[in-house]
Amino acid sequence: MSTGRAATRDRLELLQGTLDLLILRTLRVGPAHGHAIAKAIERGSEDVLQVEQGSLYPALHRLIKRGWITFDEGTSENNRRAKYYRLTAKGRKQLAVETSRWDQLAKAIARILRPAAQD
Amino acid sequence: MWKRRRALDGLDDDIRDHLEREIEEHVARGRTREEARRQALLAFGDPALVREDARAVWDWRWVTEVGQDLRYAVRSYARTPALAAVVIGTLALGIGANTAIFSVLDAVVLRPLPVREPDRLVELLSRYPGEPRMASFGWSAYEHYRDNNRVLSDLIAVGAGPIEVRPAGGAPEAVEGSYVTGNYFSALGLAPALGRLLDAQDDSDPAVAVLSWAYWQRRFGGDTGVPGRSIVVNDAPVTIVGVAPREFTGLLTGVSIEVWMPAQLLAQLGEGQRVGGPLLMGRLAPGVSRDRAQADLRVLDRWRVEELARSSGNSAWLEATLELESGRAGFSPVRDAFGSGLEALMLLVGVLLAIACINVAGLLLTRGMARRQEVAVRVALGAGRLRLLRQMLAESVLLAASGGVLGVLLAYVGAELLVDMLVSSRPLMRLPGPLEIPVEPDGRVLLFAVTIAVATGVLSGLAPACTAATTAPAVSLRGMGQIGERRSWRVLRNGLVVGQMALSVALLSATGLLVGHLARLQTSDLGFARDGRLLVRLDPSETGYSRQELGERYDTLLARLEGLPAIRSVTLSAVTPIQGGGAARFINVEGVEERPADRRYMSLNWVAPRYFETLGTPLVAGRDFQREDAHAQAPPVAIVNQALARRYFADRTPLGQRFTFDESDRVYEIVGVVGDAKYVDLRQPAPPTIYLNALQEGRGTFAEFSLHTRAAPMAALPAVRDAVRQVLGEDARVDTATTMADQIDATLVPERLTAWLSTAFGALGAGLAALGLYGQLAYAVARRAREIGLRTALGATRAGVTAMVLKSAGLLVGVGLVLGVPAAIVSTRLAAGILDGQPPNWAWPIAAAAVLMMTVALLATALPARGATRIDPATTLRAE
Repeated sequence: MSTGRAATRDRLELLQGTLDLLILRTLRVGPAHGHAIAKAIERGSEDVLQVEQGSLYPALHRLIKRGWITFDEGTSENNRRAKYYRLTAKGRKQLAVETSRWDQLAKAIARILRPAAQD
Repeated sequence: MWKRRRALDGLDDDIRDHLEREIEEHVARGRTREEARRQALLAFGDPALVREDARAVWDWRWVTEVGQDLRYAVRSYARTPALAAVVIGTLALGIGANTAIFSVLDAVVLRPLPVREPDRLVELLSRYPGEPRMASFGWSAYEHYRDNNRVLSDLIAVGAGPIEVRPAGGAPEAVEGSYVTGNYFSALGLAPALGRLLDAQDDSDPAVAVLSWAYWQRRFGGDTGVPGRSIVVNDAPVTIVGVAPREFTGLLTGVSIEVWMPAQLLAQLGEGQRVGGPLLMGRLAPGVSRDRAQADLRVLDRWRVEELARSSGNSAWLEATLELESGRAGFSPVRDAFGSGLEALMLLVGVLLAIACINVAGLLLTRGMARRQEVAVRVALGAGRLRLLRQMLAESVLLAASGGVLGVLLAYVGAELLVDMLVSSRPLMRLPGPLEIPVEPDGRVLLFAVTIAVATGVLSGLAPACTAATTAPAVSLRGMGQIGERRSWRVLRNGLVVGQMALSVALLSATGLLVGHLARLQTSDLGFARDGRLLVRLDPSETGYSRQELGERYDTLLARLEGLPAIRSVTLSAVTPIQGGGAARFINVEGVEERPADRRYMSLNWVAPRYFETLGTPLVAGRDFQREDAHAQAPPVAIVNQALARRYFADRTPLGQRFTFDESDRVYEIVGVVGDAKYVDLRQPAPPTIYLNALQEGRGTFAEFSLHTRAAPMAALPAVRDAVRQVLGEDARVDTATTMADQIDATLVPERLTAWLSTAFGALGAGLAALGLYGQLAYAVARRAREIGLRTALGATRAGVTAMVLKSAGLLVGVGLVLGVPAAIVSTRLAAGILDGQPPNWAWPIAAAAVLMMTVALLATALPARGATRIDPATTLRAE
């Protein structure tokens, strides 16, 4: 984060797909509001993925735009307005695809990274 | 879109809710509310930024992210500056060279006159068999054509003559002027910018003048009261009637006419001031083709040639024919001199552009291949494919656009340099005034070249990225390790190298042809010496001597100069070789019958004794002229060259033979035979030539002195000036002084320009091809590093590894050369066709080009081959 905004953006770029996948995975359990999703991801990956909580929101909007998730307006327990996000049928299918792709990728990356010394 | 509005509507609430929950969590863990708030914001990031990013999801991403793409592209090229520089430079050269050459070609050859329907204009030319075309007619011929033809709607005549304008109270000023017929402006369809233009009335009442826009601005500050004002032209008052349209500068390309006056005025000038006959330009009548007009006018032309034959008593004139040429670009000595050279150069830069594009394609493809891994990883990580392609596009466009911008700059500079070189040949054109060639880099060609270059850059930069991005990442990543380059890509990249080799051979062959053409002209057997000769022309007009006195003084001067220690020998003559002028006559040789149709002009020069010795032309038989020939009783003598001897005497000796000139019964006896020497034009073979004794013919007043010097010719000039002053007085001026070498070179400016530029383009093309080959081999070696390492580990010798690289290079080069030969045959044919009179001797340029390319290819191979032998098996194998 110390290299300034451009670097931050690059990091987000690279993590974008991953973050999308994690959101979809979180919402499979049931609808949740933004904070709850952030907490769930953090709990699951704390030290590995340092996601800025704020970056969750552009990602959520992207997923809405693609039609993978949708939301309901609701009022939270302490009377604030908030959105509850949930998976759509399309999102559920996408999650399956992304998950299998992720598995392939993980293997493939492992193959590349091991002989990475040559670069 | 409702989704967008709904989603964004609650965004602020969402963020606030999120932060509140986070704060509450921290407070629950016992922090102060202040501290909790700080922590929450730290974990969240800048809410404003988040809002912006979320909004951007719904916006047109192009707008917001193009800048980002470009920044990334700049950074990515900053990592490989050499590649970027080569690509940008190559594109710039291709674009710049093409645009510059075409712009000049356009200005000199193609650009039509700014008049109504320039394509309907035709220039009238007359050709006598075996002679260059002439554009000069008599005024009576003009009137004859004008009054009797039925194929031209208008025929105009443009005469040249001195125009000296004296403004009220000012010093006289020489201006560029044309003497034109009254129908000039109406035939061209021009309307005045101010006042009126010349019309038929002015033919009978000619004391009027039309100014050019530029001259009107310069001399009269654009004063609209100018029509009706009087100026003094050639010492007579004339009335300015109007100003020509701004863009029109006359019919002579390269010369901006400033004042137009009725041709009638020319007739009033003294005999000595008239310069040749008028140039004729006609406008084809509606529905009449140029061929039909030429056929009709030729019939009409019989009158002129019969008249000529009758008046000269020489039926050979009947052989003259009339020719029509397109007049759309005006009369142009510049076009005649440079047109073919520029066309040849255009051919070369076209090939150069092809090589440049192929080279860029090769480089970017290689880079693209190397980046497929990166692309695959990014796709796998979920980066949008379109986004990635756009990123690649941004990189390619950035490179191509940089090349384009640099190319435009190069085009400007290049066109300017070219024009400077063209203008330096002004003496060759024998134009009355300065030569101006207005050149603007041509927008169409620029667009064409930039489009080609950018398309190349973008396509070749994008193609590998495209395939990588559309292949499932797992597939491409799996094969990515080392061997998995698709065959089709390798074939394509090898094909590009082969293409560059082939085109380079074609380019170099054409270059060789052009350079050879120049070399042949420069080293052609001139028949006289090139070096160590000083040529001095005197201007005795201010000395006040009579012809008689001048002849005696020149005799004294010759003797004085001969005595100078710096001078070996000295002579004078009517013209010096390749000076650009000469005389010619028909002769009648005693005992030789010639059919009228076979008669030809014999070139003629009047020379003083020691001319042949001084110029270095060998005397092969008989004797040189002598002073004694000038005695009153001495019979008229002549010396002929071998070409004339062959023509008339075949195997007989010419010595003692006698001949007369047409229109004279003075009989000359041939007393000597000299070697053939070029006369007016280096490009023509030495013509049959007759030399007469200038002293005997009373022509001892020709002021062209030729001196054979002992040291550098110019070093003798001060002594020559002194001698001239001592013999002829202080008022005698040396008009021009030059060396024979310079005089020859000045006539070769077009060929030299073509040869220099084609050499530069040829070298560039070959260099690019070498770079392409080098890049391809270096990439191949890098890709095969592991294989090579393994082979080395298994005992392959350095020689073996080198041989392996050489073999793959040899294959590429070999195929390239084989394909290059037919391409070279085509290119040299084209180049030879453009240079007229060029024998199609294309064998040696092609052979030389092939050898040169092989050498260059070997050099390009050396580095990668050395790199391959340096591969350390331990390192490469450990990386596995």
